[in-house]
Amino acid sequence: MASVYIPVQNSEEEVRVSLEQLPRDASDILDILKAEQAPLDLWLVIAREYFKQGKIEQFRQILEEGSSPEIDEYYADVKYERIAILNALGAYYSYLGKVETKQREKDDHFILATQYYNKASRIDMHEPSTWIGKGQLLLAKGDLDQASAAFKIVLDDNRDDNRDNVPALLGQACVLFNRGRYSDSLELYKRALQVHPNCPASVRLGIGLCRYKMGQFEKARQAFKRALQLDPENVEALVALGIMDLQTNEADETWKGMEKMQKAFEIYPYCAMALNYLANHFFFTGQHFLVEQLTETALAVSSLGLMKSHSYYNLARSYHSKGDYEKAGMYYMASVKECNKPHDFVLPYFGLGQVQLKWGDFRSSLSNFEKVLEVYPENCETLKVIGHIYVQLSQTEKALEVLRKATKIDPRDAQAFLELGELLIQSDAGAALDAFRTARGLLKKNGGEVPIELLNNIGVLHFERGEFELAEQTFREALGDGVWLSFLDGKVHSPPVDSDASSRQYNDLQFFRRLEEEGIAVDLPWDKVTTLFNHARLLEQLHDNEKASILYKLILFKYPDYIDAYLRLAAIAKARNNTQLSIELIGDALKVNDRCPNALSMLGTLELKSDDWLKAKDTFRAAREATDGKDSYATLALGNWNYYAALRSEKRGPKLEATHLEKAKELYTKVLVQHPSNFYAANGAAVVLAEKGQFDVSKDIFTQVQEAASGNIFVQMPDVWINVAHVYFAQGHFALAVKMYQNCLRKFYYNTDTQVLLYLARTHYEAEQWQDCKKTLLRAIHLAPSNYTLRFDAGVAMQKFSMFTLQKTKKTADEVRSTVAELKNAVRVFSQLSTASSLHYHGFDEKKIETHVGYCKHLLDAAKVHHEAAEREEQQNRQRLELARQVNLAEEARRKAEEQRKLQLEKRKQEDLLKQVRQQEENFKRVKEQWRSTEPASKRKERSQMEDEDGRGEKRRRKGGKRRKRDKKSRFEMGETEGDMMDGEMEDDDAYMNNEDDGNRINDQEDDRADNNAQVLAAAGLEDSDAEDDAGAPSSNINRRRRAWSESDDDEPSVRQLEASPTRENSAEFPGSDGEA
Amino acid sequence: MKLAGLKSKENAHEESIWAATWVPATESRPALLLTGSLDETVRLWRSDELELQVTNTGHCLGVVSVAAHPSGVIAASASLDSFVRVFDVDTNATISTLEAPPSEVWKMQFDPKGTILAVAGGGSLSIKLWDTATWKLVATLSVPRPEGSNKPADRSGSSKFVLSVAWSPDGKRLACGSMDGTISIFDVARAKFLHHLEGHFMPVRSLAYSPVDPRVLFTASDDTHIHIYDAEGKSMIGAMSGHASWVLSLDVSPDGAAVASGSSDRTVRLWDLNMRAAVQTMSNHTDQVWAVAFRPPGGTGVRAGRLASVSDDKSISLYDYS
Repeated sequence: MASVYIPVQNSEEEVRVSLEQLPRDASDILDILKAEQAPLDLWLVIAREYFKQGKIEQFRQILEEGSSPEIDEYYADVKYERIAILNALGAYYSYLGKVETKQREKDDHFILATQYYNKASRIDMHEPSTWIGKGQLLLAKGDLDQASAAFKIVLDDNRDDNRDNVPALLGQACVLFNRGRYSDSLELYKRALQVHPNCPASVRLGIGLCRYKMGQFEKARQAFKRALQLDPENVEALVALGIMDLQTNEADETWKGMEKMQKAFEIYPYCAMALNYLANHFFFTGQHFLVEQLTETALAVSSLGLMKSHSYYNLARSYHSKGDYEKAGMYYMASVKECNKPHDFVLPYFGLGQVQLKWGDFRSSLSNFEKVLEVYPENCETLKVIGHIYVQLSQTEKALEVLRKATKIDPRDAQAFLELGELLIQSDAGAALDAFRTARGLLKKNGGEVPIELLNNIGVLHFERGEFELAEQTFREALGDGVWLSFLDGKVHSPPVDSDASSRQYNDLQFFRRLEEEGIAVDLPWDKVTTLFNHARLLEQLHDNEKASILYKLILFKYPDYIDAYLRLAAIAKARNNTQLSIELIGDALKVNDRCPNALSMLGTLELKSDDWLKAKDTFRAAREATDGKDSYATLALGNWNYYAALRSEKRGPKLEATHLEKAKELYTKVLVQHPSNFYAANGAAVVLAEKGQFDVSKDIFTQVQEAASGNIFVQMPDVWINVAHVYFAQGHFALAVKMYQNCLRKFYYNTDTQVLLYLARTHYEAEQWQDCKKTLLRAIHLAPSNYTLRFDAGVAMQKFSMFTLQKTKKTADEVRSTVAELKNAVRVFSQLSTASSLHYHGFDEKKIETHVGYCKHLLDAAKVHHEAAEREEQQNRQRLELARQVNLAEEARRKAEEQRKLQLEKRKQEDLLKQVRQQEENFKRVKEQWRSTEPASKRKERSQMEDEDGRGEKRRRKGGKRRKRDKKSRFEMGETEGDMMDGEMEDDDAYMNNEDDGNRINDQEDDRADNNAQVLAAAGLEDSDAEDDAGAPSSNINRRRRAWSESDDDEPSVRQLEASPTRENSAEFPGSDGEA
Repeated sequence: MKLAGLKSKENAHEESIWAATWVPATESRPALLLTGSLDETVRLWRSDELELQVTNTGHCLGVVSVAAHPSGVIAASASLDSFVRVFDVDTNATISTLEAPPSEVWKMQFDPKGTILAVAGGGSLSIKLWDTATWKLVATLSVPRPEGSNKPADRSGSSKFVLSVAWSPDGKRLACGSMDGTISIFDVARAKFLHHLEGHFMPVRSLAYSPVDPRVLFTASDDTHIHIYDAEGKSMIGAMSGHASWVLSLDVSPDGAAVASGSSDRTVRLWDLNMRAAVQTMSNHTDQVWAVAFRPPGGTGVRAGRLASVSDDKSISLYDYS
């Protein structure tokens, strides 16, 4: 039991004070000390004892009493003890100031400490302990320079052995450590240890920290362990060792590390570092409650910015993972604020970036991620996020650049390739495909499962590039095993359909039910629907509509709300001319969503096809309203509607026509403003221009559209070809027009379109290529046997041909004979038409046919004369030859007779011959005259006939032209609806619709061409493309992607799901479709 | 089941070839291929070299259809001018010229016994039956007009315009295909219309009964599909798709296991009826394939199956079918 003895003044006695039993009230002791005028060192001993016992108040009371002015006076000569007391107080206040978190009180404490030290200095300038105290105070205040100076004063003082003053050495080491001069610091620590081998654990700690900072981890570890041996409760050493254990990244070590942290926490629950690490640990074990508690404590005890930053970060992360983005964001922000330099602690920037991304604050998010990138310029995760943000900000170029960098840095990061691919889809399908395929390869190599979305995307890209086999393989891989395989492989066929099947839907339902009864599982997982749909689209492209239909039906059986499947089925039905079924199917689709713009547009088209004009207009309007006018298709459809409304009216009010045309132009322009690269709008506008006779401008536009459209397999725009051809025709470039028509026929129609054949025939007609014209018409008849107009046209062509031949001044008998045959054919054709007209209506005037028959017969008569003349001429030629031969013979005979007589005879004979010839010639002339006299008559007659037809004929022709346009349009509408569903399938237009008018058109080609020009321009079929689908799809991906990003955790990026699933066909849900030219 | 190209005859005609059929073998000669073209001629070819035997002229406008009598002795050809010329195959002597105005002439077929020639009558909405002994018109089978056809004029051509005919192998039934896609079945003995088969909505240009099952009828339509019907039960057994454009012609193999089709998409396809799928696609033609025809079995020492196809590209192709 330690005691101190206070000598009683003026006696030999002493008062014994047991240190263990110091009175609670320090005044008692003070009274004794004062009364006995005890030496000051006793004061100090007792005060220290109080301090050790934690009785801070008493400690302070004694020391303050011990440094009071009266004591100073009394003990004026006792320098050292007074200084010691002052220094103790100074140290005490330094400590208070150091631990105090509130700035104001902290400052107060430091001021007090400074005052005490200054007082001590005044007693003795050179007392090293004062300097050391001052140094430590300055250190605590963070004033490294002055602290260093203070320590230096001590160390440089040569009076004593101050050179090795341990506290000064330690202080200076601390300064150096804080300045980052670890090796110098280490030297000082070592010196301190040499001077004072039994120095406390903290010296070892200092050595350890220096070694740690210098990267000498093994030596550091030894130092920390030694420190712990000396002081098993040294929290810093424990924490340091714990951190080193954790950093090994091995499960065992980590565990040991955590144990150490826990121990440190038990020893001293307010060590911020340990708290942070523990919090970090509990974060990963998912004990968020503990995380919050620990970090809140850590925050309370720590004043160091970086430490707080860590704590805030832990808190934020905990909230982040719980989905409380608001709090997470707040704490991230706090964390970022605590450490201003991203280089010190970059993680909260990443977290904050993520939360801001979640909030949609892309710019702030971007700046945070960019800070991360400054620290780690090659961090793939960050690059990917930045790329993603650029996508959101529509800075595609930058996004591409960043993502390309990411894939270059880590060519094995499937995720980065996936991102890159998705980004490229819009701009460069080929590169996108490459990226996706790389991603697939990487995923496969790593043994991971390739997500169906990726396969779907690859399949779609192959599909779009026309690589159907690869697409099919990919889709199959994506779909895997399932009921669809038995459909695809033809093992199960669609059910037999009764000719008068009651209900279609019932029928389908029955079929799948029956399959189920047969034990075939009819399942369709939701994530495969999209791919199945795409596969069905592929089958359609490959013309296997039967299989495609059954797949669509399967989708509808399981997901009856899948509108696109209805629409595709409707489109298939429509392509097969099954309008009734098509309308029914669209009805089903509209039952699911009565404002579906695609369904409405298609319905409008169908209504137009069945000649239901007003209804169609209403439907298109509804479609347009359903998308707030953003759907260019509906607008275009209305434009077309107006266009052919302008040309439809039988009465042809020029005013009405102009209004409709103007309206059409306005609508096309509207679409063009929204989507400057919409083919169809451009085509439509060009048609209106051509209609007004501005051929040059319209031709330019047509040619541009044609060029643009030829790059996409889904865009089929035969109409623009036809329009170009029409312009050529109108400008008289027949050869070019013929070529264009032929190319168009071959390229788009498999030579099956009679309407285009008719255009072709007409061009031949104008170019006076009668045989080509006739052959073309015969082909057309063969293709469309029930189109009697074509027969009429063929008749006209033959008639014209005959007339033309007969008018030739030089013609052979063969020519005349074939002309006669042709005329007979013409007569037969016309008379057949005339008899057939009694059987059914085909639109011509019987009288007119009669006129033609009459005219042909007349020509035939005329031809007979020609025929006879030609034959006579032939005969005469023969005779002449015969005569010449006879002359020769006679000459020979005469040669045998006398020369003189021979000559005379010959002369006479020649005269005879001449006479004969003259006679013949005269005869021939007479015949010719006769012939000539008939010719004008025939011409006159022809003209009269033409005139007769003119009034009516012209009107018809106009109408015909326009109707044609309408048909074309109806085709376009079709296409567009389908286009939305990512195909550019052609619809057959009703080629037979208006043929009777076309007949007239050809018939009256005598009229001046310019007049015709305007009408021959068939209107534009405006097909929609799929280019636009893509515009929609990626945005959907991106939404999903964004979610994926913000849910992911920065520290475990690998955990992130490959969530991006671009369902391309979803694009049908994105109305804003526009063809990118 | 497969096709192997044997021979292709380029420029077999001067213009598009629109019709082809096999003239069965007689005792004195093997089977011959008969073709008709837009160049107004009908030609006979010796298989397998496709050597031109004879060129018949006399038609005006294009030849749209040819038919051969089961005996192989006589044949008929028809052109756009609506004349049918019946001639002796070996001598090319005209036996008769048939005309039934105002009816046009499209596809024709002799009945399996050879007593009647059935001719699709186009806009007359009927099939004309000609007696092959007297060459007199013996019956007109009219397709009933659609119920409630108050539409006065089907100007668009989607009428019941009769394009194609086919006899059932037992000779009891006659099927015809129309522009609007409906198929009509007639009872020949009673000269009675039985029923329609529905499913097509575009022209049916070719149809054929299965040689092994008199109930089964195959039809080819512009809607790109081939349908399989139970012609008696009025139901559609199945549909086969794959052509990219109109299916212009179709023929059933003599063994009844396969169907060959020719299409505007320039291909000839072979369909396996068990799988109901195209097993082979021949793309040697460069334009629409207007006719395909399997050679009928029989003749001296001729077992091998042959398929011929003709096209707008003026060529004839011959394939080995096995």
